[in-house]
Amino acid sequence: MNLDWSVVWDHRRQFLDGALMTILLTVVTMSLALPGGLLLALLRLSPLRPVRLCATAFVEFFRATPLILQIYWAFYVLPATFDIRLPDFATGVIGLSLNVSAFNSETFRAGIISVRQGQTNAGLALGLSKTQVFIYIILPQAIMRVLPALANTWVSLFKDTSLVSTIAIAELSYVSLQIRARTFRFLEMLTAMAAIYWIMGYPQAKLADWIHRRFKVQE
Amino acid sequence: MPINLSPILDRWQFLAYGLWTTLVVSSLAISLGFGLGLFIGLLRTYYGRWLDVPCGFFVDTMRSIPVLVILIWAYFGIPLITGISWSTTTAGIVGLGCHLSAYVAEVIRAGLTSIRPGQFRAGLTLGMSPFQIVRTIIVPQAAIRMLPPLGSLVIITVKDSAIAAVIAVPELMRQSQIIAQWTFRPFEVYTVAMIVYFLICFPLARGIDRLYRRLAPLGSS
Repeated sequence: MNLDWSVVWDHRRQFLDGALMTILLTVVTMSLALPGGLLLALLRLSPLRPVRLCATAFVEFFRATPLILQIYWAFYVLPATFDIRLPDFATGVIGLSLNVSAFNSETFRAGIISVRQGQTNAGLALGLSKTQVFIYIILPQAIMRVLPALANTWVSLFKDTSLVSTIAIAELSYVSLQIRARTFRFLEMLTAMAAIYWIMGYPQAKLADWIHRRFKVQE
Repeated sequence: MPINLSPILDRWQFLAYGLWTTLVVSSLAISLGFGLGLFIGLLRTYYGRWLDVPCGFFVDTMRSIPVLVILIWAYFGIPLITGISWSTTTAGIVGLGCHLSAYVAEVIRAGLTSIRPGQFRAGLTLGMSPFQIVRTIIVPQAAIRMLPPLGSLVIITVKDSAIAAVIAVPELMRQSQIIAQWTFRPFEVYTVAMIVYFLICFPLARGIDRLYRRLAPLGSS
């Protein structure tokens, strides 16, 4: 089998664009999914039962169905059945953000619940309002505790952006498979694709491990 | 908007076959992933550094590459290198299983090391062999602690099996795509597929939660 690696170098611009698109998708999705997740977590902790039920149903639904199917649903069903036409990038980001918001909301909820009731009571006793107690006392502690879980979600999201290649968003996997189809350099392209993901993903996985060690909740 | 379920009802066998394949692929990938993961996790916890480095490299590689890429590699890459050609389903099972094994190995290692080393030493003073200590003292406690993360890995694998549609494994997602293309009824087909996945994953998640809540007191040390 003769391999021709120059073909990878020839397409370096496309690979770079693909990698940048992957990073862009990750960053945009996460910046939507962090507030989204926090909002959902608050809705799930709301004293109103219907609000709580709706938020729970949303979260459980998105957590119990495959992301790729959610993306397909957004891409094929929204335009065909509801006549909602969005650019591909927006469709991909919406699919990813709804999914990641659901996962983030569970993380935030666990973090908020983990701060003991006594702290809320102490804050209220000092004359703080409920909102102040949440913003100044509960939230900072909760965020520190959920950082490791958020780091894991970040790494998963980075990898899951590859799924939007199925709806023709030109991120790294899509670009690699396109070049593969055009040049018939199968093994070179598959190796380049895996290697670029590895180069980007490995440090992130290691960073997530470090955050785990650094911010671990002590028993 | 009129809902027309006949495309699904007419071809229910085609979809049922997809569901069956999803269940088979998921359970075989889970068996492979748990077996391999247990093996790697034990090696990394109890054997020296020289095994830790290659195992760690495998685990971290699987954790930093998307499942999609692993599946494409399993189906297109491995046959090109080794000359062995296998069916999409086998490639899907191997790809999903290898990906899962890395996460299982991490959970196993974290669970085993979470049992305090004093217990191991106590076992040694009682004259037990290291294998006996691991089997009768460490694993039973660690297994309960590992249950929630391992349970979520099971559910993640069922969901990830849908990604195998990309390499044309005839599972539920793939069969749904085909029917959606034939009938031009994406709404009904994909919604039904989503409900079916939900009906598999949601009870599974709740079941594991309940099991853990019953067993949790046994795992505290």
